[in-house]
Amino acid sequence: MSASYKPRVQRQFIGGYRPRIDAIQKAQGRAPYADDIISDRAYPGLLHARVLRSPYPRARIVHLDASKAAALPGVKAVLTYQDPEVARLKPTNAGWTDAVDTVSYEGMMWRKFRDRRVLGDYAAWAGDELGVAIAAESEQIAEQALKLVEVEWEQLPFVMDPLSAMQPEAPVIHPQIAEHNVLPPDPIGGPDIFLNKGDVEQGFASADVVLEMDTSHHNPTQGALDPWCCVAQWQDDRLTIVSNSYAADQTRMHVSQMLDLPIHKVRVISKYVGGQFGRGDTGDQPFFLFTALLAKQAGRPVKFKHTRHDSFHDTRQPALYHCKVGARTDGTITALHFKSIGDIGAHADHSVFALKFAPAEIAEAALAPVPNIKMESYAVYTNHIPGCMMRGVGNSQFNFIFGRMIDGLAERLDMDPIALSSKNFGHAWGSTPDQSLMAVLEAGAQRIGWQEKRHKPGAGLLVDGTRRRGVGFSLHPGWHTEWQEERRGQVQAKITLYPDGTVTLDAPTVETGTGSNTCNVLGCAEALGFLGVRPEDITWVATVDTDAGMRDCVQTDSAVSFLQSEVLAVAAQELKQKLLALAAPVLGADVDQLTITQGQIHAPGRSIGVKELLFQGDLVPLSVMVSRKPATQRTGVPYIASFAEVEVDTATGRTQVLKLVIVNDCGTVMYASGAEAQQIGGQVMAIGEALTEEIVYDPVHGVPLNFNLIDYKMPTIADMPEIEPVLLEVWRGAGEYGACGIGEGTLTCTPRAIANAVYNAIGARVDDIPITPEKVLQALGRI
Amino acid sequence: MIKETLLNVSTEISANDRIRIRINGEWGEYEVGRDLKSETTLSTFLRERLGYTGLKISCDEGACGACTVIMDGKAILSCMLLAVEADGHDVLTIEGLPHDDPVIEAFAEQSEPGHGTALQCGYCTPGFVLSTHALLNENPNPTLDEIKEALSGNLCRCGCYSGIVMAVRHASEKIAAKGG
Repeated sequence: MSASYKPRVQRQFIGGYRPRIDAIQKAQGRAPYADDIISDRAYPGLLHARVLRSPYPRARIVHLDASKAAALPGVKAVLTYQDPEVARLKPTNAGWTDAVDTVSYEGMMWRKFRDRRVLGDYAAWAGDELGVAIAAESEQIAEQALKLVEVEWEQLPFVMDPLSAMQPEAPVIHPQIAEHNVLPPDPIGGPDIFLNKGDVEQGFASADVVLEMDTSHHNPTQGALDPWCCVAQWQDDRLTIVSNSYAADQTRMHVSQMLDLPIHKVRVISKYVGGQFGRGDTGDQPFFLFTALLAKQAGRPVKFKHTRHDSFHDTRQPALYHCKVGARTDGTITALHFKSIGDIGAHADHSVFALKFAPAEIAEAALAPVPNIKMESYAVYTNHIPGCMMRGVGNSQFNFIFGRMIDGLAERLDMDPIALSSKNFGHAWGSTPDQSLMAVLEAGAQRIGWQEKRHKPGAGLLVDGTRRRGVGFSLHPGWHTEWQEERRGQVQAKITLYPDGTVTLDAPTVETGTGSNTCNVLGCAEALGFLGVRPEDITWVATVDTDAGMRDCVQTDSAVSFLQSEVLAVAAQELKQKLLALAAPVLGADVDQLTITQGQIHAPGRSIGVKELLFQGDLVPLSVMVSRKPATQRTGVPYIASFAEVEVDTATGRTQVLKLVIVNDCGTVMYASGAEAQQIGGQVMAIGEALTEEIVYDPVHGVPLNFNLIDYKMPTIADMPEIEPVLLEVWRGAGEYGACGIGEGTLTCTPRAIANAVYNAIGARVDDIPITPEKVLQALGRI
Repeated sequence: MIKETLLNVSTEISANDRIRIRINGEWGEYEVGRDLKSETTLSTFLRERLGYTGLKISCDEGACGACTVIMDGKAILSCMLLAVEADGHDVLTIEGLPHDDPVIEAFAEQSEPGHGTALQCGYCTPGFVLSTHALLNENPNPTLDEIKEALSGNLCRCGCYSGIVMAVRHASEKIAAKGG
């Protein structure tokens, strides 16, 4: 049983344990998701679209004849790569940005890697959407029509692993971008050696101990239960898209720029989304475009929805990491060299973010005390499913080698890895030992029982003859602080106060499950404390509609939990000034003589209630909209850690997680129940990633085999161990709350914590996740 | 607990045949060919034809539990049943539960420290609520293992399983307090 956290500052609403604001609506099944809204009833004449997906890992369409499909009764629109409105679309990338900001086509982050054609004639993985899209009276007719399309394919040689793809004789997947399948240096990611601090060779020469190690991270997928879907509808020359995209403003920009429509001629609406987890990067997905073009051709609204099979659409980038570390016998790390080879799959999209951008940030945030660091990375095309953003982008892959390095070095030096960590890691703006890091490790160690349970590798007690127990941990710097959100630009929020003291809150963000909507309502009530407003007096506007003219704050970097509350704190002060200006003549006093507490405005010797004041007036609602950039003070970062206890059956190779302790220094806990839900919930993905989830290919044909929820094994309630969430407030960021986001990072450390615990249990390393029974038995020399 | 209900479809279904299904307490009569096809799944019929959108079609192959409804007191996966197979049966969707249903309330209210909430994105929640109903109908006071067994056919990708266990326990207490 977890102890409740202790807030640094006791506040009225922020930080509390309470239900989510949308909980009752969701539990009643009344929360409207895109697939619920886009029905034949709501959209008379609605058509349903399907798109051709390549059956081959690499192929080109030589000839395509859709005439039989077009002639099938019920087919209303057919779009192929030969149609001029398709052929003229610019080459693109499905990750224009990490969705922190809105970007144009020219300004997209990975402008050197525009390797996607919308409905092109070339497939780079067995599942690529290409060639032809069809809209018909029903999904079944559209699917049947697809089967009537005659396609002559040129099957091309393919390559399924990045090391082979780097060889000179390998098939070249996107020759116009990467001559030998390795992405060239680009302005955002930098050169191959993207970080070179100090002199690593000298650092290794001055070390007493030098260790080298390798890890392998596979391609788990986001697995949101709500499949992508959208409807496109034209009214004259104006296009409306309703979807479960989590980035409405960016989707509008994408559609506007790709279809060459003025921004005001595109309207994008998003409501509730049944899980996001980074899927599809920013949502700059070709299906929005071909759905819109089909709708235009048919003159009717068109719906496109992924099947479950189609939902296996992008994944975390598999990455092979090599690490060399040098240290003195006292535990001081003198040099670090990390080299990664990333399997980015068929399309570059956002992969370089994971392979270069994120590790470079970690070097600044955690490795600053290490004097000599070299980081290099090679992002390699293969004919796998594309990598893209996924919860903890890049950090999960890096943590898997980082935590391995700590555990291995500590063992070699005969040190406690906790002591080794506090000696070497901090951030560029602090001193070691870092207070947040120390607090996180101490809390985790105490809750898991580190002193009692940690033993020499493989030296634990044998349970029932074959099972051995062990404990392990991993740590990571947070990356969701206010200064790290600078690129987001203006964050917008609007408070509208009605005469009866109730409030409408426009803090646009698509609700994907993170709970930031509850954070926003609590932040609004907290900021309006002078009015005595309670959370139940506030209506949160659940629909993000670009026609409202505000940019949505996208659920990326887990930062919406506090970014909008910081804006609301400013907005509330502006609202207060407006109220005082209204009250001053009524009370016959100067504004600076007035105060407001609990909804009562006080002047010397007189007072009036805010409601009474407003009902005396014109009853026009009082609105304040504030746009504010995130604070840029370099406040450093807080730390996160996972501690794991496992039991490994040395006879069957099965690993069972007995307990996880998840520790997050939050700066300020904005909403305790939501934060704990993220800490606990993230472990489903983490345990899946560590032990059971994996996309399996037929290596001969290059075709994925398990695009379903039976063979792609996501943990169920029966697979979950006891999880203890620990919330801390040690580090402090900028602003009213000084908080940071935590949702993504809750799963970053867990696979490594489990892998280290497995080593502690059996004394044999499995550094290639998922840790399957087969790999455990191989490590033990049993098979 | 067995989630599947095996049914005997005694007669061949053909166009213009009528079927009767009691949905949320009210019998409805539907004509095959006009209201549904013989191959229409119960999930598609309930959602797309009748507008019961609380159930979700997420995998459409019996692997996720998002389309769970209760038929004759047992939780079933409505994507694994043809609508015509529900002929003569009693179906309960999330819309058929009262707004103050103790299970709904328990899922919505869960905020006991240490367990997070019982839902986040909410997409799987109606399925969990109905599976919980079916469990508590048969076993009003289940153990942790029994809860895990009964709900292991429902996936929650947000991972609120700890909160869900608490919600089931609280629902059990609420039902007991109401006198069963």
